[in-house]
Amino acid sequence: MTWDSKLIDRANQIIELYPQKRSALGPLLYLAQEKEGYIDDDSVVEISKLIGITEVQVRSVASFYTMYKQEPSGKYLISVCKSISCEINNSREVIESIKEFTGLANNETDVDNTFTFEEVECIGACGGAPAVQVNYETVEGMTPTKALELCKYLKEEVPKVIVADHLQDKFGGTKSFDWAIEDNSGTSSTAPGFQIIGTSEEN
Amino acid sequence: MTENIKFTVNGNELEAKSGELLIEACEKSGIHIPRFCWHKRLDPVGMCRMCLVEVETPRGKALVPSCTTEITEDLVVDTESAVVTKAQEGILEFLLINHPLDCPVCDKAGECPLQDQTMAYGPGESRFVEEKRHFEKPIPISEIILLDRERCILCARCTRFSDEISGDPLIEFIQRGNKTEVNTFPDEPFRSYFSGNTVQICPVGALTSTSYRFKARPWDLKKVSSTCNCCSVGCSIELNTSQNKMLRILGEDNEFTNQGWLSDKGRYNFDYLHSENRVLNILSKEEDSFSKISISDATEMIKNKIAELDNPNIKFILGSSSTNEEYFVINEIANYLNKDKFLSKDSSNIYFGDDLLFEGYFGDQYSQAKLEDLDSSETIVVWAEDIKDNLPILYLRIKKAVKNGSKLIVFGHTNTAIAGLADFYFGKDIVSNKFELIRNPNEIEDLKNNIEGKKVTVITGKSTVFQKKESLDKLINYLNEKAELKVFNSFSKGNTFGALQNIDEVKGLNEFCNEFDTNAKNIVFTIGVNPVNSSYFSQKIKENLIASDFVISLDLFVNETTELADLILPTTSLGEKEGTVTNMEMRVMKQNKILPAPGSTLSEWEYLVSILNVLGENVNYKNEIEINNYLSEQYKNQEKVPTFDNLNKPSNLFGVLNKKDININIKDLKEDNFSLLMVRRLYGDSSTQINSPSISMLGAHKFIELNSTTAKKYGINSKVGNFIQGPNSILINIEINEYLPDDLVIAPINRRGFEDIDPSLDFNITEAKNREELNVN
Repeated sequence: MTWDSKLIDRANQIIELYPQKRSALGPLLYLAQEKEGYIDDDSVVEISKLIGITEVQVRSVASFYTMYKQEPSGKYLISVCKSISCEINNSREVIESIKEFTGLANNETDVDNTFTFEEVECIGACGGAPAVQVNYETVEGMTPTKALELCKYLKEEVPKVIVADHLQDKFGGTKSFDWAIEDNSGTSSTAPGFQIIGTSEEN
Repeated sequence: MTENIKFTVNGNELEAKSGELLIEACEKSGIHIPRFCWHKRLDPVGMCRMCLVEVETPRGKALVPSCTTEITEDLVVDTESAVVTKAQEGILEFLLINHPLDCPVCDKAGECPLQDQTMAYGPGESRFVEEKRHFEKPIPISEIILLDRERCILCARCTRFSDEISGDPLIEFIQRGNKTEVNTFPDEPFRSYFSGNTVQICPVGALTSTSYRFKARPWDLKKVSSTCNCCSVGCSIELNTSQNKMLRILGEDNEFTNQGWLSDKGRYNFDYLHSENRVLNILSKEEDSFSKISISDATEMIKNKIAELDNPNIKFILGSSSTNEEYFVINEIANYLNKDKFLSKDSSNIYFGDDLLFEGYFGDQYSQAKLEDLDSSETIVVWAEDIKDNLPILYLRIKKAVKNGSKLIVFGHTNTAIAGLADFYFGKDIVSNKFELIRNPNEIEDLKNNIEGKKVTVITGKSTVFQKKESLDKLINYLNEKAELKVFNSFSKGNTFGALQNIDEVKGLNEFCNEFDTNAKNIVFTIGVNPVNSSYFSQKIKENLIASDFVISLDLFVNETTELADLILPTTSLGEKEGTVTNMEMRVMKQNKILPAPGSTLSEWEYLVSILNVLGENVNYKNEIEINNYLSEQYKNQEKVPTFDNLNKPSNLFGVLNKKDININIKDLKEDNFSLLMVRRLYGDSSTQINSPSISMLGAHKFIELNSTTAKKYGINSKVGNFIQGPNSILINIEINEYLPDDLVIAPINRRGFEDIDPSLDFNITEAKNREELNVN
């Protein structure tokens, strides 16, 4: 879908934050992902027009980074870290329990588009391993049981906004460190919730 | 940067400039380091790791890529150590994991860097038994380029070329890791004027040209260096033939001109040589149909016609595809045939077939520019016809200079393609729709600040046939006075400068039409030119040719002009004749012969010499060398004389510069009323292009450009419309170009459909009905 004037205004506000237009590519791709759930071709065309690079250059970046989705995800994108710290802290079992609950293999989306499951490389939460993300909101100190509860909660409650701190309170264990800042903004899409880009939502 | 420093390679002490890349410095000293991604005309990227060498560091020896390592004082390098050898073997083993090794069916085999370097530096055996990557093969990434993705080793040469050099990055890496592939965006093909260069620099057989794919094996090719004649930049090329067929043209790296690159037109405009439509016999018109006759009958016929018409006016219209030697002979015969006729200074009977030719800026007061001057210019000023379409390699040179810090100032409405590169674009506020300067140059602050007292190169020429020279004079004289100025006269067609240098006096097509006396007896020679198509004067010239008593055409094809001729003398073309050509910087370069003249074709000079002989003038040039020697006599007090001998010396392979007076006698058009700006596009409907199947479709696209305000005036919202003038209605694509001023519409002059459009008459543009059903290309 082509972008409406409201979205283009938002994009232009982001572009103004950078000395060069093309530097806004990353955030604009998140805007597209927030809107469509993935980076569709129409959004690529819109972005290329907005920042003055070619469509294929946009596509090149969008297809390089795995957090930019090339296909639609379910409502909740569950990413489990399988890198070394999480691996030695039992992420394998967390993965297995989520797989069992959702019935999904790596990089699959279920038929009613509730869950997309993926195994990912390090998400920067080694101190709180094993870690899981729901729509890029991180929960640390995960266990197989808690992971099941998390999935059930998502399936049954269908929360509109996902907030890391809330999930951490409900399902998390030991955090890597206390972030000291209360972060009540989360995300209501499969794009990471960044206040500066405007993809975050107050709960 | 200029001071030399010492470093050691394999125990030998060498010298290089500080900051030079290790791989380049070694190459200069004769030490070859294998590489795939590094190319001396592209920025280093360090992708392939093939050029790893061992250098001594404070922490011991380390492997570093020599393409990203700059030379430092006393650097100690080993390019042949056991560690380096092992690294090279390892890298090649990795590169071959996914490479299909389908050399027996690959066009690149035999000249493939991957194949050659695997033989020279590879491990000999692979330990990989896994399945290789598979892709659909080949996929067309444009009308003329095919891509076999499984052969690609991800060196990024093609993607870097399209980004850094040609500035149209329509191909890029897609995906990551093991899935990485080069591709285009869906529905955005790699439509670049320079796409063929990616095929030439691809170090494997991933990118291939439709015109060469499966045509030949490199070891079967016969090769000769030559000079391209598609525009007046004069790119150095290599002609490749097999079994007397031209199969491909490659760019040669001439430091002074093309630096290895070619436009796609220069590269692919050769299939016409073997077209079945080519005229291979002398044709004489009898009652509206042509029949074959012999050369002796043809010359006899010309002699009789001249006698029968009793002192006729004999005029010559020239194209830009002749060699200097041919222009020299044309000048001789024109003078001979005119010797009793006119005695005044305005006696020239030679007219050059380029609407945009004007008197130009020659003579002692203007310093003529060389292409290398662009690199050292602080500011480059452009006010000329579309550079990208008409002098594509000059565009690359300007782009390179701008990248290296030159300021670019663009005037006018024809060069919107380079407006994005420009530091200052002077559009409607400074240049009127009639291409007059609205403001005095010395009142334009941005111009003043960037040229006064600076090194400036200006590229200047008429943007439209209606433009008055006076408007250009204002700018050029101001620049000449205030700046250290070098001038390029942007006469863009082929060997224009060769014609100007070897013909005593040249006039234009307007003069031809004005001087043509329908009441007199007229004989007209057209030589390698089709002025009845793609010219503002087409209609008048057509009428004049029909009114002529005898028309003799020297050309390759039957086209709009030659079909009006009474006698067609089929000529030779690129690769079929030997000679010299002169480029826009007055560099004389060699064109070489590699193909036999097909059928009973002869070179232009051979016909003209035969005619002279039949007429009783004793001229006995036996070959091009004799003509060349004779014309070189006139250069003998210059530093280097462009004789064939001289040009074949290794030190002169890239041409010699020479000076000679140029005498152009062209007056401005009286009328200047036009609302349609007709411009020449790179691809068009020339008879050579429409008879070259691999690129003929590129000249079919019909489109106009206008800005959104003008589009609104015509009530156009869609991208498809009809261009209507009188009885002509052309289905067109409409492209919005906001650089254009209001009320100016740009249309191509050399595209099929536009041949009957007159820019000085009214026209209308309407939206196409049922546009969903229309498929314009």
